[in-house]
Amino acid sequence: MGLENVKVMIADDSMFARKKLTNFIATLGVAEVLEASDGEEAVEKYKANKPHVVFMDIVMPKKTGIEAVKEIVDFDPEARVIMASSVGTQNHLRDAIMAGANDFIQKPISNDQIKKILENTAKELKL
Amino acid sequence: MFAQFFGSFLLHKGLVTAKDLTQAFEEKKNTRMRLGVLAINAGLMTSEQVEHVNVTQQSVDKRFGDLCVELGYLTDSDVERLLSEQPTDYLLLGQTLVNSGVMSNSDFEKAIIEYKDENSLSNDDISGNQSDKLSKLISGFYHFDTAANARIYTEFTTLLFKDIIRFIGDDFTPLGSSIIHELEAPHIVKQSITGAYNSITCVAADTAEYMAFAERFAKEEFTEVDDFVDATVGEFMNVNNGLFTVNESNEHGIELQLDPQEIHNDEKIVFENPAFLIPVSFSFGEVNFVISNG
Repeated sequence: MGLENVKVMIADDSMFARKKLTNFIATLGVAEVLEASDGEEAVEKYKANKPHVVFMDIVMPKKTGIEAVKEIVDFDPEARVIMASSVGTQNHLRDAIMAGANDFIQKPISNDQIKKILENTAKELKL
Repeated sequence: MFAQFFGSFLLHKGLVTAKDLTQAFEEKKNTRMRLGVLAINAGLMTSEQVEHVNVTQQSVDKRFGDLCVELGYLTDSDVERLLSEQPTDYLLLGQTLVNSGVMSNSDFEKAIIEYKDENSLSNDDISGNQSDKLSKLISGFYHFDTAANARIYTEFTTLLFKDIIRFIGDDFTPLGSSIIHELEAPHIVKQSITGAYNSITCVAADTAEYMAFAERFAKEEFTEVDDFVDATVGEFMNVNNGLFTVNESNEHGIELQLDPQEIHNDEKIVFENPAFLIPVSFSFGEVNFVISNG
């Protein structure tokens, strides 16, 4: 059991957010980090690669993070999607959970939070 | 954050130069508070009394605090209390400026009395980062009380300065604001806040300052402004505005959304309504922030 088997996807339209998160996650020795820069790409890449955990922004072009979560969960009810947004209002939180997200973290995201989520994923999925 | 506004006050009064402040902000992390400045700040001693003790100390081998007690300026418990208090940021700035000879004890005494008086602040008010006092200070500094959306502007700017300290650094001086109707700069990041009310926010700077600001946020070095540098400054704005919308939702029940950030390089932005330009002088140069009704 370990992070070396975990496949992660980061869906964020911010190049900065994607790079920072990808660079940190890469240091943890995960199997693969996929990136998507809008909601539409996130759904397509999820269907094609079935990552174990997704970090999903909310405000994104083409399709919002909330819409993308709905489609991903329709496709795979066991999907683990963590909303990672700068706009952690009660409304967004409720919409995200209703859409099927597992958790919600407010940006800026700390490396410790990410590490904990990935370790829990590996543990719970017995990877 | 009181240190930055105290610095701005000293600059405005001509007691220090921008260079003095930049240097003091860099040096203050290594500064140790001295009893004289602490006693002046607490109103327990005058600068003349502090000077008297300093002169006396040159001829007798005694500690400053012991001499103060002997001369009847302080009691033992005053000394103990002053030395046990956690030094505040604005006092460290003051002490650094006194140590480097930019200000005398007497200059510091006059400045701190005038500063507290002008802003109706007590020692307790500025010993921490009390939000209501900070908001009052910021609202007064920028004259937001004359703006139609004074509360929104005050809370936005208070959060902005907290985020600047958190993500960029505390080595800055807020400069006086102005009302503008258009904004032109080599680099502008704009983000609209929409919903129960609409606002436009911007970060604008020249190339060197824009890169330096991005370097601080990203914690990496850049050699030229590219898409990643734009995305970095954009993310600072997004994080700040996101926290603002969360505060508005939690504290006032106001629901807002953020539009994606827009990058405007070498362009002019025209505001429909008067906008507040909030210039901030960092050790690496000046960066401007803007808030306006959308």
